[in-house]
Amino acid sequence: MRTVKIFIKAGCSRCPQAKQAGATLKDEGFSVTEFDVGTTDGLAEGAYYSVQATPTVIIEDQNETIIGDFRGEVPPIETLRDMLTGN
Amino acid sequence: MGSLVELKERQKPVDLHETTDLALFVRTSSDNLAGWDRQKIVDAMVREADVPSDVADRISLEVEEIIVKADIKFVTAPLIRELVDAKLIECGLEDARKKHTRLGVPLYDVDQMILHPNKENANVPHGPEATNLTLAEGIKKEYALLKVFTADVGDAHMRGDIHLHDLGFIDRPYCSGQSLEYIKRFGLSLPNSLSTAKPARQPEVLLAHMVKFAAALQSHFAGAIGWDAVNLFFAPYLEGRSDREVKQLAQMLIYEFSQQAVARGGQAIFTDINLYWEVPKHFENVPAIGPGGEFTGKTYGEYEKEAQRFVWALFDVYKEGDGTGRPFFFPKPLVHITEKLFRTEGWQDFLHHICDVASEKGTTYFVFDRGDTAKISECCRLSFKLNASDIEDAKSPWKMRFSALQNVTVNLPRLGYRSKGNDTALFNNLRAMMELAVKGHLQKKYFIESLLALGDTGPLALLTMATDGAPYLRMHRASYLIGMVGLNELVKIHTGEGLQESKRAIKFGLKVISEMSLLCKKYSEMHDMHFVLEQTPAESTAYRFAKLDLRDYRDHAQNFVRGDVATGHIYYTNSTCLPVGSSENPIERVRTEGLFHPLIEAGSITHIWLGESKPAKESLSNFVIKVFRETQNDQIAFSPEFTNCLACGRTVRGLQPTCPHCGSDKVDGITRITGYFTKISSWNKGKIGELRERNRNKGFFAK
Repeated sequence: MRTVKIFIKAGCSRCPQAKQAGATLKDEGFSVTEFDVGTTDGLAEGAYYSVQATPTVIIEDQNETIIGDFRGEVPPIETLRDMLTGN
Repeated sequence: MGSLVELKERQKPVDLHETTDLALFVRTSSDNLAGWDRQKIVDAMVREADVPSDVADRISLEVEEIIVKADIKFVTAPLIRELVDAKLIECGLEDARKKHTRLGVPLYDVDQMILHPNKENANVPHGPEATNLTLAEGIKKEYALLKVFTADVGDAHMRGDIHLHDLGFIDRPYCSGQSLEYIKRFGLSLPNSLSTAKPARQPEVLLAHMVKFAAALQSHFAGAIGWDAVNLFFAPYLEGRSDREVKQLAQMLIYEFSQQAVARGGQAIFTDINLYWEVPKHFENVPAIGPGGEFTGKTYGEYEKEAQRFVWALFDVYKEGDGTGRPFFFPKPLVHITEKLFRTEGWQDFLHHICDVASEKGTTYFVFDRGDTAKISECCRLSFKLNASDIEDAKSPWKMRFSALQNVTVNLPRLGYRSKGNDTALFNNLRAMMELAVKGHLQKKYFIESLLALGDTGPLALLTMATDGAPYLRMHRASYLIGMVGLNELVKIHTGEGLQESKRAIKFGLKVISEMSLLCKKYSEMHDMHFVLEQTPAESTAYRFAKLDLRDYRDHAQNFVRGDVATGHIYYTNSTCLPVGSSENPIERVRTEGLFHPLIEAGSITHIWLGESKPAKESLSNFVIKVFRETQNDQIAFSPEFTNCLACGRTVRGLQPTCPHCGSDKVDGITRITGYFTKISSWNKGKIGELRERNRNKGFFAK
């Protein structure tokens, strides 16, 4: 199953938009995990994916291979939906 | 120096209350014989340790009695003091004993120091000056642990929970980074110097000023002295000079710094020169200072060609090596690889040139400044990233003076032994150690501030000189370094897998370093200071921690320390690095280690051990570009190995047991110990253990 990882932090102006996209996808049944890079776990996960800007959205396949990433930006939700469904 | 008390003649019987009857004589440090005076013992206790005079008097009488009754020929001043201290303990005056204690060195130890080299720092050659340095360091280290740091911090260091670096240099900050602009603009005018010099008019004179100022700074800092954009700031002096003259100047600069092993403790000045092919963006529009300290009317952006001529010549000299073809150990050339480099004409040839030197001699360090990042690098890997205020200072580059006040390293594997696989316990233990490290920093800061407060009559007068209106040492801008040793071993102890073994292990390692990084931020806000993580060079700390853990946590530690437990050639993996012997290819090592680097603000490096191989410059050049484009790695260096024959003087590739030219077995190996090259004969046992296990990446790079 493909998953979305969303990296956000407090005070980031575009992060609410990323959070909203994540919430919508979650409601649609997709696997979405949110990481706050101001926390230890979030910062560690962000370091692993070389997250240098927030928001960052990463989509992985079932083998945890990155199939799409958006760094410092939030793509249209349709783009994310298409990537998650493999369209 | 301590004095000797000589018992000339014994009187029997002795009235111990009438000391004038005692025929004891004190041999003083000024070569005089002075009569025994019990009152001096009393005075010392009252003056130094606030002991009430009646108690001091009673103790002095008891000590006198012991001395007289003892049938010994010579009584040393340290012995008297120890006897007094024992009496203070008997009286329950523990605090007074601490204040009254004597700092010194046993005769045996001095004998050993004079006869044998000190291997704590491979940059200290053996000789009388080195002995002086070791002796002074020993006493100042004791002083620091008794006087500067509280018992909990000092004991944590002694136990090996943490390592307080450079305790022997307790009365100095750790390291300093600056540009040539200070001496170009103001000349060489140092407190207490016999003469002052106006700003240099010739490049050779500027170089002389630089060398002397570096020596003065070495006397006021414990560690590295770094110089920013050296080729650029020399450039205004090079107009009209022929290529031959520029090469000559390059040669002078490198030899001056590489042959400075005549200064403090016979120790070469640990010098780093930051170099650029392009003119860094933050210096492009800055008015250039030229001969006589005058503004030339041009900006540094207009000196690109002169700066390039000089940096090219420097690498010509590095490629040749010293008189016997050995690599230069100092000054270390740190070349910044930036986006602008790749937009600057001639970058490909330059990159090939410095990669040629990296392959041939290993001398080049590649520092990666991605995006808008700008920094000055020094020491074994330390970096000062320039913030908005620093970029503003860059308009007046003489203001750009950076310092780290101290380095405290946390022994990570020990946290693993103590936490027994429990996450909560591990992170609680980590927080406790970080808190202790911060406490140690606060105490050193307080001590240095007390010395600086003495101003131009104090021991740090040079750092208080305010030629440009601000003290040379800008305390409010100082960094406080927190390092780590043995992340790989901690992760293995805690999760069962080393960093190179699984994604899970890497993620757990990142969690540990993330926690440390966030704690630095928290303490920075709390104390209005700049706490930052740095990969500790750990030349001796990785060995010391392993030794102490093997002593105190033997059942666990013997399974995790690296090297050879039987021979004592043991160590922990440095900082956040993968084990030196792991077999992943170099680009994978650079990528994986680079995941940690953005969390370690004050500097990281990945070493690529080359052994005997000599890769093609094009191959290394492609590698460097790939590292810049595809990883987050902060800095890399390629380390070949050499053998220098002490009999015939020749230098050959690889570590050889005998000289292939003359057959002599009087040879010494040369390679990078941590962030610098040195002779292997000067290495400690832990580093020798590490050397044996290094993966030389044979066959990876095209020849």
